[in-house]
Amino acid sequence: MRVGLVSPYSFDVPGGVQFHIRDLAEQLIDQGHEASVLAPADEGTVLPPYVVSAGRAVPIRYNGSVARLNFGPIAAARVGRWVSDGDFDLLHIHEPVTPSVAVLALWAATSPVVATFHTSNLRSRAMQAAYPLLRPSLEKINGRIAVSEDARRTVTTHLGGDAVVIPNGVRTSYFGAARRRPQWCGAPGRPTIAFLGRIDEPRKGLPVLAEAMPEVLRALPGARLLVVGPGSSEAARSRMPAEVAAATEFLGAVSEEDKAALLASADIYVAPHTGGESFGIVLVEAMAAGAPVLASDLPAFVRVLDGARAGATFRTGQAGDLATQLTGLLHDRERRDELAARGRRRAEVFDWDVVTRQVTAVYETVLDARPRPRGVASLRQGGGSR
Amino acid sequence: MSALEWSALVLALVILIAWYLSYSAARLDRLHAKVEGALSALDAALVRRAEASLELANSGALDPASGFLIAGAASQSLERTTERAFESDLLEGQHFAGSEGVESELTEVLLAALPDDVIARTRDDGGLGAAALERVEAAGLRVQLARRFHNDAVKEVQRVRGKRVVQLFRLAGHADLPQTVELDDSFPRARDGS
Repeated sequence: MRVGLVSPYSFDVPGGVQFHIRDLAEQLIDQGHEASVLAPADEGTVLPPYVVSAGRAVPIRYNGSVARLNFGPIAAARVGRWVSDGDFDLLHIHEPVTPSVAVLALWAATSPVVATFHTSNLRSRAMQAAYPLLRPSLEKINGRIAVSEDARRTVTTHLGGDAVVIPNGVRTSYFGAARRRPQWCGAPGRPTIAFLGRIDEPRKGLPVLAEAMPEVLRALPGARLLVVGPGSSEAARSRMPAEVAAATEFLGAVSEEDKAALLASADIYVAPHTGGESFGIVLVEAMAAGAPVLASDLPAFVRVLDGARAGATFRTGQAGDLATQLTGLLHDRERRDELAARGRRRAEVFDWDVVTRQVTAVYETVLDARPRPRGVASLRQGGGSR
Repeated sequence: MSALEWSALVLALVILIAWYLSYSAARLDRLHAKVEGALSALDAALVRRAEASLELANSGALDPASGFLIAGAASQSLERTTERAFESDLLEGQHFAGSEGVESELTEVLLAALPDDVIARTRDDGGLGAAALERVEAAGLRVQLARRFHNDAVKEVQRVRGKRVVQLFRLAGHADLPQTVELDDSFPRARDGS
């Protein structure tokens, strides 16, 4: 089938939703479907061949962080052209309630529409105010997917009705096959702690981890904190206590390969996020790579960790609790190995093969539900694909 | 204001109201069509599930008692569907024609006859049984999806039809108010919630 995927967020900057759309498009193409992705992108950005740029995105504060969005009459015209040129069997729009190409594509859609809701963040008043305005457009959606129970709750609260939960996919075999790098592996007395995420984004929790580190360093003076993620390392360093800054290595934004290697090498991965997360894809990546996970007990994280069985948790935002748990785990090799083994098994549920099968089942169901001329001719037509 | 201005204003208002009414009627019509399509998709998914279940029952991969149970429930569902094909309002009336009981029964039987260890064994044995099992699971998943999408569409219609304008001007015409389909479709079991 021909699927048009719409990303509201720019492909210039990495992000969970963008990666999800990229991977899904590649999975669909691998399975012999045709997929085209429409996303905002700056001119000159190198895009994969299946991505069509919806024009330059404007950085704007939205939903508690800076998002690069695309709106206005020119964007609307571009979206309309992509929709009509693409002649898609169906459109799969991600985050349909974003003031960006997602809303524009929904507006322009004439084919069946599948929508995936990623966010569980209710902070945006604008979003709540916009629901009545968008409702007629949202009625074009034939199948709703939520990436997590929390995202599903957002849908139920604001739109009524329900959504099917299909988790984010992770290339578990890719992360599972990652090689360890000696420079990131811990040694006796010198364990390595990995953190991933924008370092200037407090929601990602680096400040909480930095606050917990002095106590960890008192117990384990040789501990090393490896920080991966975009943002100014000088600013982050200056906000840390001196001994923590000395024990921290900022690796900047790294490639997927390096990320996988870091997760495979580190003695523990810490996810100290303070909120706004509806899924926690990094947690799955860490589990797939074999890193024991210690995460804040956000509902979404607890669920990804299979009710905290596949990873350890601490009280969200509580540096003291984090320090205790982290120190305990770093001293307990056996427990870490056990968590890593359970994590690997848990990660299988999120493998892209499994997830893609579920997503294509949604596509087929939605295509089966196309309004058609009266008659039962195609009632039993299998699959619905072309 | 002069009489001319007044009449122009009234005319503009009338046009606006007429536009709004026709817009609302078109929106409602679209929603009704969506429910209809969703219901026929659910119907098709249920037929496929029953067919695949019958196949699994006859594949010889299960013990005869389980096969017998599944075959019974599956053929009951298929009979129901073929009987209904002669009813004139198959897709018009947006009713599910009371198949909930029969379909819930098939789900119940599948859950009872296919605990996780039987599923794992059938899958490992391969052959016809494994292929049929895969089809039952795939069809079961599609039933779950189709029913949720149908019920979402129904709720949208119900919400729009609850509006005072729609009721006052009878924009829904004679169409029955569609109802959600409530049945047990919990096979295949959820892979512990994420």
